[in-house]
Amino acid sequence: MTWKAERPGDRGRDHARQAWHVDAAMSARYADGSLPEPDAWSLEKHVEACARCAAAVSEAVRTTQGPAAVLAEVRASVLRAIVETEPAGAAGQHQDPSATLPRRLARALWAAGPALRGPWVIALLLVCAAAVGLAYGAGFNGARPVLLLLAPVLPLTGVALSYGPHADRLYEISASTPSGGLRLLLTRTAAVLGVSLPLLTTVGAVLPGPAGVPGAGAWLLPGLALTLGALALSSYLGCRTATGVVAAGWTFAVLLPVLASRGAGGDGSGILPMTALAEQLAQYLSGAPAQGGWALAGALCAGLLALRRHSFDISPGTGQGSRLDPRENL
Amino acid sequence: MISTDTTSAVRVGGLTVRHRRTVALDGVDLDFRPGVHGLLGPNGAGKTSLIRVLATVARADGGRVELLGHDLSGHRELAAARRRLGYLPQDFGYYPGFTVREFVAYVAWLKEMPGARAGAAVERAVARVGLADRIDAKVKTLSGGMVRRVGIAQAIVNDPAVLLLDEPTAGLDPEQRVEFRSLLRELGSQATVIVSTHLVEDVAAACTEVTLIESGRVAYRGTPASLAELGAQADGAGIGGNSIERGYTIALRAHRAGTASTAGVRR
Repeated sequence: MTWKAERPGDRGRDHARQAWHVDAAMSARYADGSLPEPDAWSLEKHVEACARCAAAVSEAVRTTQGPAAVLAEVRASVLRAIVETEPAGAAGQHQDPSATLPRRLARALWAAGPALRGPWVIALLLVCAAAVGLAYGAGFNGARPVLLLLAPVLPLTGVALSYGPHADRLYEISASTPSGGLRLLLTRTAAVLGVSLPLLTTVGAVLPGPAGVPGAGAWLLPGLALTLGALALSSYLGCRTATGVVAAGWTFAVLLPVLASRGAGGDGSGILPMTALAEQLAQYLSGAPAQGGWALAGALCAGLLALRRHSFDISPGTGQGSRLDPRENL
Repeated sequence: MISTDTTSAVRVGGLTVRHRRTVALDGVDLDFRPGVHGLLGPNGAGKTSLIRVLATVARADGGRVELLGHDLSGHRELAAARRRLGYLPQDFGYYPGFTVREFVAYVAWLKEMPGARAGAAVERAVARVGLADRIDAKVKTLSGGMVRRVGIAQAIVNDPAVLLLDEPTAGLDPEQRVEFRSLLRELGSQATVIVSTHLVEDVAAACTEVTLIESGRVAYRGTPASLAELGAQADGAGIGGNSIERGYTIALRAHRAGTASTAGVRR
């Protein structure tokens, strides 16, 4: 094979003026790697300038298994190396030798929301400890009704402490990011529910349940529905106000009839008549119709939230603007 | 769409922002091309209001905003613009347990950066603000100036096309300010950087253009050189300071004199 040394200026020449062209046999040998190295270099140099030969060679390489397998292997090992150095999940954080599992878990909880690292978790644990302590230490038989009264309020407080300009130190930065709206609110709500639902239900199941008191799991659907309702309402009012309204609504809906019955000459024992509270809770929580109603309410709230999802973006476009101070407006 | 012209990364038209009864921005028309833009003005002039609207954190009460060719009317457009945005608020908080790396990585996650790329981007951003040796230190152990640099690192972690910095040099010592200005010039070669500041020397050293805002209106637009020229004309007019500072004062007074007669009709 003769090969005219090519000068840089030859690159743009018409391929007809080249001294030779790559034939099929040479393409095939190049593709399977059996072409001697100097000839391979010559071929590579030639195809830079000759489109016809370049097409023929790339076709031969494409249809030959050898290099394809090598490429696949290289790709797999590169991906493996990337996965090993960049653990998936936590925003691509590098492997830190000091990052033991508990520390990583703590960071995940931290990122999941301010509520999970602050007084809210302490309040949750105190409520649980107090309920168990009163029931078994003091023999108080109203522990489960009181817990059922408080249980839906606790996740709502957690949501209120998780998101928004008043609760989240990072809010001003997160509000300018694509994930800082509903996505972040839902992530943090899920974290709050993930901690509070199992804990409160387990404690409720441990408490003695006198006849007529709803079961420990009876609050789960209402708790979820009220949380969804608060989220939907927060698209209008902001997170803090919405959770406050819903929590107050639930508390008054349970307590007002109880206090009214006491005023009307009920059993009148103590500040809060436990039998009346248990009856009122049973009315709201026990039985298929009540639970079905909560499920329906939850689904409706979820639907409203889906419809209102874009109101969590603060768009600076045209529009009526906010009646609230921008800092207070979600 | 206001225009199909894509050379201006940021455009606002008739932008009005009200805080309760006070008017923070009053029908402002501005456009910003790639480069470093200094936003000057007295306290309460509306600099922060403008930056918060551009950062998509605050809602405008009227007018139009276009970022990177997106008119931000829809959810997708807003999300697309936000992915290419960097924002350093005047006051920002952090979770005290986070290290510098965790804090910047968390913001990278919020900005939806791909996980595989984020790790290296975090290290690069932290190195660019000169904190590479403190990357695994807790943010709460850092000095005020360092925390501000961490704030700059989180703003630039996604290599933003539009970078909004509200008083970034507050709390930096003179040496750090010099380094920060050279970082600003570097960033301005690629991105549209808008810096609000009350330090006229920041503008002189780092900015390619100057916008002066007063009482919610644009009082002056030009370059640091044109502002200095304005100041040079007033030699001996009894205004202290260097020529840019004098230019600033003269532009502000001229604007006040021009708007005094119309102030009564403002909402």
